[in-house]
Amino acid sequence: MSQLFPMKQVLGFVFSLLLTTIALAVYFLDMSFAVGMTILLVTAFIQAGLQLVVFMHAGETKDKGAIYTNVFYGLVIALVTVLGTLLAMVWDM
Amino acid sequence: MKIDNSLPLEYSTEENSLKILGFWIFLGAEIMLFATLFATYFTLENRTGSGPTGAEIFVITPVLLETFLLLTSSFTVGLGIHAMRIGKQKAMISFFSITLLLGLAFLGVEIFEFVTYVHEGAGIQTSAFTAALLTTLGTHGVHVTLGLFWGLFIILQVKKRGFTPQTTNKAFIFSLYWHFLDVVWIFIFSFIYLKGMM
Amino acid sequence: MDFFDRFAVPHPSIAIYASMAAIGLTIIAVIAGITYFKKWGYLWREWLTTVDHKRIGIMYLLSALLMLFRGGVDAIMMRAQLAVPENTLLDAQHYNEIFTTHGIVMILFMAMPFIMFFMNFVVPLQIGARDVAFPRLNALSFWLFFMGAMLFNISFVVGGSPDAGWTSYFPLAGNEFSTSVGTNYYMIAIQIAGIGTLMTGINFITTILKMRAPGMTLMKMPMFTWSALIANVIIVFAFPVLAVLLAMGTLDRQFGTNFFTMDNGGMDMLWANIFWVWGHPEVYILILPAFGIYSEVISTFARRNLYGYKSMVGSMAIISLLSFFVWAHHFFTMGQGALTNSIFSITTMAIAVPTGVKIFNWLLTLRKGKIVFTTPMLYSMLFIPLFTLGGVTGVMLAMSAADYQYHNTMFLVAHFHNVIIPGVVFAMLAGLHYYWPKMFGFLLNERLGKWTAWLLSIGFILSFMPMYISGLDGQARRMYTYSEAAGFSLMNMISFVGAAIMAIGFVLIVYNIYYSTRYESRDISNDPWDARTLEWATHTPVPEYNFAILPDVRTNEAYWDAKKNGHVLFKGEFKKIHMPNNSGIPFIMSCIFFVWGFSFIFSLWIPVIVTTLGIFGCMALRSFEQDHGRYISVKEIEETETNLRGA
Repeated sequence: MSQLFPMKQVLGFVFSLLLTTIALAVYFLDMSFAVGMTILLVTAFIQAGLQLVVFMHAGETKDKGAIYTNVFYGLVIALVTVLGTLLAMVWDM
Repeated sequence: MKIDNSLPLEYSTEENSLKILGFWIFLGAEIMLFATLFATYFTLENRTGSGPTGAEIFVITPVLLETFLLLTSSFTVGLGIHAMRIGKQKAMISFFSITLLLGLAFLGVEIFEFVTYVHEGAGIQTSAFTAALLTTLGTHGVHVTLGLFWGLFIILQVKKRGFTPQTTNKAFIFSLYWHFLDVVWIFIFSFIYLKGMM
Repeated sequence: MDFFDRFAVPHPSIAIYASMAAIGLTIIAVIAGITYFKKWGYLWREWLTTVDHKRIGIMYLLSALLMLFRGGVDAIMMRAQLAVPENTLLDAQHYNEIFTTHGIVMILFMAMPFIMFFMNFVVPLQIGARDVAFPRLNALSFWLFFMGAMLFNISFVVGGSPDAGWTSYFPLAGNEFSTSVGTNYYMIAIQIAGIGTLMTGINFITTILKMRAPGMTLMKMPMFTWSALIANVIIVFAFPVLAVLLAMGTLDRQFGTNFFTMDNGGMDMLWANIFWVWGHPEVYILILPAFGIYSEVISTFARRNLYGYKSMVGSMAIISLLSFFVWAHHFFTMGQGALTNSIFSITTMAIAVPTGVKIFNWLLTLRKGKIVFTTPMLYSMLFIPLFTLGGVTGVMLAMSAADYQYHNTMFLVAHFHNVIIPGVVFAMLAGLHYYWPKMFGFLLNERLGKWTAWLLSIGFILSFMPMYISGLDGQARRMYTYSEAAGFSLMNMISFVGAAIMAIGFVLIVYNIYYSTRYESRDISNDPWDARTLEWATHTPVPEYNFAILPDVRTNEAYWDAKKNGHVLFKGEFKKIHMPNNSGIPFIMSCIFFVWGFSFIFSLWIPVIVTTLGIFGCMALRSFEQDHGRYISVKEIEETETNLRGA
């Protein structure tokens, strides 16, 4: 039975629950917008990285260079798109 | 067909490793798809017109429930792939079935949530905010729904054909998809719900 | 009768009825012709169900040429309308429809399939592969593109054309100001074609990353393959943006949401913003493969290796990233602040640097080269000065403060035609002449080819240079007429003359194809241009498996190595070759998509539901299907190879 529950994945799951709990602090505790956003950004991106490495086995073959490049490229463009849109549409600078 | 035994079965043929890399690239495209939805949502977040705001309609309980269901399903699909790699067909099918049931439960809660929103006067036509909110959530929900059918097909194929390079490859790719949906949900949970209720 | 009223064109004219008749007659003629010559079986077996990248490529080429003429007719009508002041050839509504469809057809249904043709036909041959990574997906990509294009084109005669510009900005494109189904066609037809393009992107990245011949590292890939790789990376990250944008536009128009409306919090400017998040990378998707073709042509006909290979690759990589960082320069005047405009101004100007690096690399390739002036080379030589001019006016437009003067004038129209025609169109024509013998076994006539190149260049200069001037004088784009007092008459007349000369050039291409098919010699070698890369190491016509033995590669000019330095490309013996089976599913599924799209456009929900189920049915069928492909035996390979060598 225990071989069906590898330590790495169990720990990964526990850690992801923990990160969710930390993120919940922004709901239950009173804090400024800046602190809250920082907490959310940190926990969300760690959580995403966790899924990528522990559960999705992104680095297990010789294609890992291509896979990580692809994901990071996508992430950079995604962030630029979101921030650039906010810059032009909302922040009005 | 050439089968390379040094690798897990899902990578064992040339075609298999092509499909896995191809799917990763597809996930890259999915990142941009959801990024566009997020960019839209953040732009329209405070443009509620005469409709309710996020803080007025978001409720923590169903959201937490959804998060827990999806996180757990991501864990169980990972266990399913592990079981597949050590050759345990029954365990793999069980884990995949649990995953799909959790996914179904998630979808149930989400539908309940949507119905509640509409009752509270936050339908998709109400305001720019509700349009962006429901479209973003809906796109994720449609992905989950498609995943349920896809996962079911894979379970049926594994039952019928056992672990072959083809079936294991499909199961592995499905797991990538499912984990990715979990990642997207984490961002929805953090930057739509928690940020909205902060 | 009420039901059928919706299919009527809201703003009919004799031209539209004539097109209806022409389209109807053409369809009848095609069907009758195929039936008379008993070609239905051939068509189904060899083309509609094919998964061969070369045939799919040729189908892309045919679609692109067809659409070139559709878009070209639009263009000549616009120039004719503006040739004299207060002209009444077209009214405002028709003019709006024509500039809208001209833009969409030329960008999405002419230039895109043209580069898809090159990628499909050339990339697997250049990297020494037998097909693309996912041959059946490739067929699906083509058929989705094709059905999207056809769906878009019937808008002209069924229900009305889109008329809100190729950018389809809201609120103009919203229900209030665009009441016909025209803009629905825009949303749905482009969506269908876009899904196909996205799948092509995934397919070719995987192909190029995983299926290169032994020894071909990334830095030993031919330049066109590099450009295709980078263009496909842009496709994969840009097209999802378009998909979401069109979906939101559809929701606004057909489901009453408020993304881009004027009330309930909607934000019309958001459409422009997201449109250009896709739209700007899109122009680099077009230009980078064009650069790749110029690189191949210039190094072949300068008879020397490409100067600055690494800087070529590096500059393309930088362009691909920067292309996502500049989109707001399309709406400098929309009211965002000075900081935002400055940021996008600087990133835009920065793109000129890697582009300039490429221009210098081509010039330095020519230096000390033994230049051979063939038609493809002539196009490339005309490209360099003309494109540079367009690039420089691009830098002018990039300055956000000055852009307030240029914005939405003919100056802008002149600029983007100045980069797209010498940049993309000339590359496509150069590549067409260059790869024609590999596809069909004979050269296109060189004399006619050169005449065409000169006619197009002169026509281009006459058409578009006057627009820079009239634009600076204040002539706005998209205006269907102007008064004589405005003083634009002379410039617009010159433009019209230029457009007519270009039209003659394009007709000459068709004549050239006809003439060469009849009279050009079939007795050409596998390598008529004395070229340098692997695609020329194949037989002509290329056998379905491309390479009987996968080539062994040492440098980025493997074939040149084999010809001049005694490198042995093909080592070892024939082995049986695994090939994918043909499949009818991509074609059938795309036909269902066509019906789905058509029903969606007219909000016919029952057929939409039925076809949606049909599409998922096809996908489920594919999931359960077991298809392991087939093998070509050693004996068959030997026979084919002997035949081709003998020929």
